[in-house]
Amino acid sequence: MSLLSLNQVNKRFGGLRALTDISLDVEEGEILGLMGANGAGKTTLFSVICGHARPSSGEIRLGGESIVGLRPDQVCRRGIARTFQIVKPFGQMTVMENLLTAAMFGPAAIRRRDRALGHCREVLDELGMGDAASQPAHSLTLAMQKKLEVARAVATGCRILMLDEVMAGLTPTEVNEMLAIIRRLRLTRRLTILIVEHVMKALMELSSRVVVLHHGELIAKGTPSEIAADENVLEVYFGRAAP
Amino acid sequence: MNSTAFDALLWTALLVGFAALPIFGGDYLVGIGLAAAMWLALTQSWSVLSSLTGYVSLGHTVFYGLGSYVVVVTWQQTPLAIALLGAGAASAAFALLVGLPVMRVRGPYFVILTFGLAELVKYSVLALEAEMGVSSRLLFGAPDIRVIYGLMVALAVAATALRILVDVLPFGHGLRSLRENEEAAETVGVPVARYKLFAFVLSAIVPGMVGGVMAMRSTFFEPIQAFDPTISVNIILMAVIGGGESARGPLLGVLFLVILSEWLWAKAPQAYMIILGLLLIVFVLKFPRGLAGWLADWQRARR
Repeated sequence: MSLLSLNQVNKRFGGLRALTDISLDVEEGEILGLMGANGAGKTTLFSVICGHARPSSGEIRLGGESIVGLRPDQVCRRGIARTFQIVKPFGQMTVMENLLTAAMFGPAAIRRRDRALGHCREVLDELGMGDAASQPAHSLTLAMQKKLEVARAVATGCRILMLDEVMAGLTPTEVNEMLAIIRRLRLTRRLTILIVEHVMKALMELSSRVVVLHHGELIAKGTPSEIAADENVLEVYFGRAAP
Repeated sequence: MNSTAFDALLWTALLVGFAALPIFGGDYLVGIGLAAAMWLALTQSWSVLSSLTGYVSLGHTVFYGLGSYVVVVTWQQTPLAIALLGAGAASAAFALLVGLPVMRVRGPYFVILTFGLAELVKYSVLALEAEMGVSSRLLFGAPDIRVIYGLMVALAVAATALRILVDVLPFGHGLRSLRENEEAAETVGVPVARYKLFAFVLSAIVPGMVGGVMAMRSTFFEPIQAFDPTISVNIILMAVIGGGESARGPLLGVLFLVILSEWLWAKAPQAYMIILGLLLIVFVLKFPRGLAGWLADWQRARR
């Protein structure tokens, strides 16, 4: 059985069909890349899975159990954590306090402060952010705030990590560092990862499978090399070849 | 001296001071002590909601007024303890009832909504009393001021203990997180809606009981006075001047303003409101973390 499976998921905002009949299985341990132009429905798909928006119809199952209609905090406690494309740090709190919230309230549910501190310290070290632990989150650079998004999501103790454009706006060096971090986290934390990314090189290198969204429809699934050769995808991205 | 030891000393000294006041002080000093205890109870309660979640309530007088009303209406029939518990319960029930819709709006909208809600309840009670043919109620056989003082100090201790407890519990950490960003807090597992509602209810209980105790002090009930919006404004004034980071803030703000008020009323009654207004402006602009924030910085610098 797939860890996360979507069956015929639709999301309409009034007359706009943001997602149309999305069916998708996410296998345990894989890194699934989500591709698509702006407005293709990638972030809506994230919102629908995480409980920020309720699907108009369709089924979403986590480990066989439906999670449709759950609140975002309930979805998180079932084991799904996400980052935000536009970073949302707890600005006035320190980096460590940002992570503590996740450790105490996420699926890890560590209520004792000393144990929660230890858990968060490990996560920070793993992301190379140990030195920033006592800095207020609002004072971090964008690259560090992107990392903080990832660190905070991981600190929940989630099984599924959903990354929404964590590399947008980063320099090539920072992108490479982020790639290494994501690969390492998948192994050490045994994570299943869903990743939305515009940095194509990153998405192709990282993903074991890629799905392509276009105008809210799923138009292709496959390995990165299959996707790179897929005619539908090429047409959507580059237009039809002249006859 | 580290800050935990400092806090322990501060709170112990304060308790001893409150306990010694009625033994050594006359009625005038007990009156000032009563005012200090009242504002402390109100401001600490308010801070559990407003300092921790960032939802600034400008309507906490509604709980005070409801508590007064409950005690006055039940005065002849019910023992004092039951009446006071009833006042707290009524406030909590009201907060629970209006909390979910009210806590959906943020920022200035929440401020105005809480203010309007308090006015609505005030005029509803006024209309209800008029309908029943009551213009104001008198309260006979109220206890001695020293009893009232003791009750109020107990409420101040309860409210302070509540704030300190919430501060150290994961619940308090959750509230601080949602103050920074509700969507992010929800995404890492904080049950945001329930926590906000719970904080709202918690912050209502003691103010209801304070209102009940003050009804015994004034020995009459009149809605315009019991739901006076200046109570809400004063709470915010004290909280801003004291600072919101810890239970110290309300304490410093209350002590500072109660003492200053007494002094100003005696020395310069005409300038009283002007000086308070200026103080608020200075603190908002120059010391947004209040007296407690300033004290914390000073302690850190000395270490």
